[in-house]
Amino acid sequence: MNYIIKNAYVVDPINKISGEKMDIFVADGRITDEEPKNAEIIDAGGFLTLPGGIDSHTHICGTKVNFGRYMSPEDMRAGRAPRRNGMRAVSGYSIPTTYGNSYRYAQMGYTTLTEGAMAPLEARHTHEEFKNTPLQDGLILTLFDGDWGVMRAVASGDIKRAAALIAWRLDAVKGYGVKLTNPLGAEMWSWGKNVECMRKPIPEFDLSSAEYIKGVIEANEMLDLPHSVHLHCNNLGKPGNFTCTIGSMGLVPDLNPKRQTCYLTHVQFHSYGGTGWGDFCSKAEPVANMVNLRPQITIDMGQVMFGRTTTMTADGPMEFNLYRLHQDKWSNHDVEMETASGVIPVIYRRKNLVNSIMWAIGLELALLVKNPWQCMLTTDSPNGAPFVKYPEIIGLLMSKEYRDREFATIHPKTESRVVLPALDRELTFEEIAVMTRAGQARALGLIDRGKGHLGPGAEADIAVYPFRPDRLDPSKQYAEVIRGFAQTKYTMKAGVLISKDDTILADKQNRIFWCSPKVPEKYDMAKDPDLIKTFENNYSIRMENYAVDEKFYLSGSVKIETETRL
Amino acid sequence: MRRITLILREEIDPFLPIEAESISPEILSKRIDVPVYVGNEQKLLKDVFYIRVDGEAAGPSATEIILVGDCHQVKRIGEYMTDGKIIVEGDIGMHCGDFMSGGTIEIMGDAGHWLGREMLGGKIICHGNAGNYCGSGYRGGRKGVRGGQIFVEGNVGDYCAECLFGGLVHVKGNAGIHAGGNMKGGKLLIEGDCLMPCGDMFDGEATIYGHVTDFLPTFVQTGHITEKGHRLTVFKGDMAHRNPKGTLRVGSFERI
Repeated sequence: MNYIIKNAYVVDPINKISGEKMDIFVADGRITDEEPKNAEIIDAGGFLTLPGGIDSHTHICGTKVNFGRYMSPEDMRAGRAPRRNGMRAVSGYSIPTTYGNSYRYAQMGYTTLTEGAMAPLEARHTHEEFKNTPLQDGLILTLFDGDWGVMRAVASGDIKRAAALIAWRLDAVKGYGVKLTNPLGAEMWSWGKNVECMRKPIPEFDLSSAEYIKGVIEANEMLDLPHSVHLHCNNLGKPGNFTCTIGSMGLVPDLNPKRQTCYLTHVQFHSYGGTGWGDFCSKAEPVANMVNLRPQITIDMGQVMFGRTTTMTADGPMEFNLYRLHQDKWSNHDVEMETASGVIPVIYRRKNLVNSIMWAIGLELALLVKNPWQCMLTTDSPNGAPFVKYPEIIGLLMSKEYRDREFATIHPKTESRVVLPALDRELTFEEIAVMTRAGQARALGLIDRGKGHLGPGAEADIAVYPFRPDRLDPSKQYAEVIRGFAQTKYTMKAGVLISKDDTILADKQNRIFWCSPKVPEKYDMAKDPDLIKTFENNYSIRMENYAVDEKFYLSGSVKIETETRL
Repeated sequence: MRRITLILREEIDPFLPIEAESISPEILSKRIDVPVYVGNEQKLLKDVFYIRVDGEAAGPSATEIILVGDCHQVKRIGEYMTDGKIIVEGDIGMHCGDFMSGGTIEIMGDAGHWLGREMLGGKIICHGNAGNYCGSGYRGGRKGVRGGQIFVEGNVGDYCAECLFGGLVHVKGNAGIHAGGNMKGGKLLIEGDCLMPCGDMFDGEATIYGHVTDFLPTFVQTGHITEKGHRLTVFKGDMAHRNPKGTLRVGSFERI
């Protein structure tokens, strides 16, 4: 089907279009220059039109998401909607069913999602859930935080071997990029301990997390992967952890001209000052300054919004600390030789000082990082808040008035611990477009794949939001902005209209993007005696059964082959 | 005063569940032609019950509903009820009186599972036995019954008063396993025996006049009292929880 989207108010930062009324031509799933024949005309009526949204860090598919579902049957009592017009019945709020996730993202204009952490051994489950997330393309970041093979290779200084192991595993599990969650923390957690920041070497391996981060970054660049290393720093959620975060940022060299060299995720959880919960305060300012000084770093906010949600991460020891704080449900999981994980349901409350400060820190980061290409809008869904809160965050970032109004409702002592009330910056629609799609496309290396922009040749992922930006002052009419971003007029994915108003129109439009670095024969780990021995001795699964079958587990597959320097 | 008598029609298949959340004084004081589900089929109330209406109602408080016949498959009656009275002359099905915040439900026969689940106020009297999860919360929820009173003259099943947060659950007979599990407030009184009660108790008061089998080792004995002629041993717990405030009194016990 071909389309002409008439009279659209286009904001497309990659092609430097900032609020131009124009027509968009869609033919065969791509955007073209020429007016297509037999096209259906969609009148955008001067509404804000953006490239399809991209979420660079969310948790929607995988074993730990599903374990969150097991643990919190009460979550399924919210967000229930019956089957209608070809849409399936959905339920759940912070950890909805896969179709619930897909429908809600589609209605917010999102067409590409990045699952933030997949344990390689649990890859099949993740792919099966992605198969049932029908309206978004999926990218899956693969956990390497406690991979014994890579750890040993980095410890012995053999970065090429580390790169080859990463290449083999990404290819086997159909992953897109490298995720480090609390590097080496999973290994220490299997001894009941955690790593203390990043300089102290862990026993058995004689490797510190600083060395490991540096080694993996180097290996990642050697493989020329489209995405950089995706780093969840050590010491998440501990008061005073900002020094560790800044230290980790200091480790990152500038190795790639096209994108960042390291992506630090949910930095809100890593920008805490103080020595304990008593004097807990915001250190967003030094962290944002460090980002401003280092163009090789991109961060995402990991904004916390008030309400009920579920935290889930591969950072097992952190979830244990959280359990001791909340004394509620807790799940803990160990993935042999690879990683760990934990899940806990939480409620963030306005009346709680710590939660109020966390809420402020996320916003401060987004406002203090000068270049919007370096700070993505996320909630680390569902850790900070479910992704359905994105429109509210956009409202908060675009309106000082709304921020002040919300600030008046949170814990009164917050003011002395944060800098948020002093920040006057109000983001523009262009900056929001960067933080929700263009910047994410650049950070994930998807611009070449035609994502994140509306130039000719790009994939026709288009979101039309039902308000006219030229007749609207977002700093005053923030309520309309929030309402507008919450539900698109039209969402199109690869030239297929997937949602109109509150109705989903399509099914089975999803693909998985995955990377297969081309490694020379010498570094083909499938024939590596050490790896074969590891599987024979230490894994509960045979090596030949480890790889995920492309045909059976992936609904649609885009294989990205990269040239390596091995 | 309006009295509505509902007599279950004999042609209704006793093996099909009837979802009848519309049988509550709020709804029936306004209109009678309400839908109920029989199995997966929507029907009108009058197709499922013979209905007899006497008198005029000023509102739900002046409405009395009487269910006649074997209603063991009729579910969710009195859901969200706030006032008025429901009398069940026989047995009643699952989820009777859930979320109710006022009024009275009197059951002459046995009640099904989930009697008075997540109730907020009001009173439920069951003259027979009640099923599992009597006066409890729902799956995964932290707070169960928050107020009101539930009296059961017979025995109750397992997980009675789980996550109890307020109000009173009074059982004259015996209880099954895990009565008062995860209690966070309120009062639980079991006059008969029970098995392994009050695990992970945070707060509240549980009293068991009878014998406790498999008593948990995580309770600390603090003394003895005599209540209504029963000599009871008093415990504090559950010590597996940080800073527990719960009180558990038992007649006799045998440790696990």
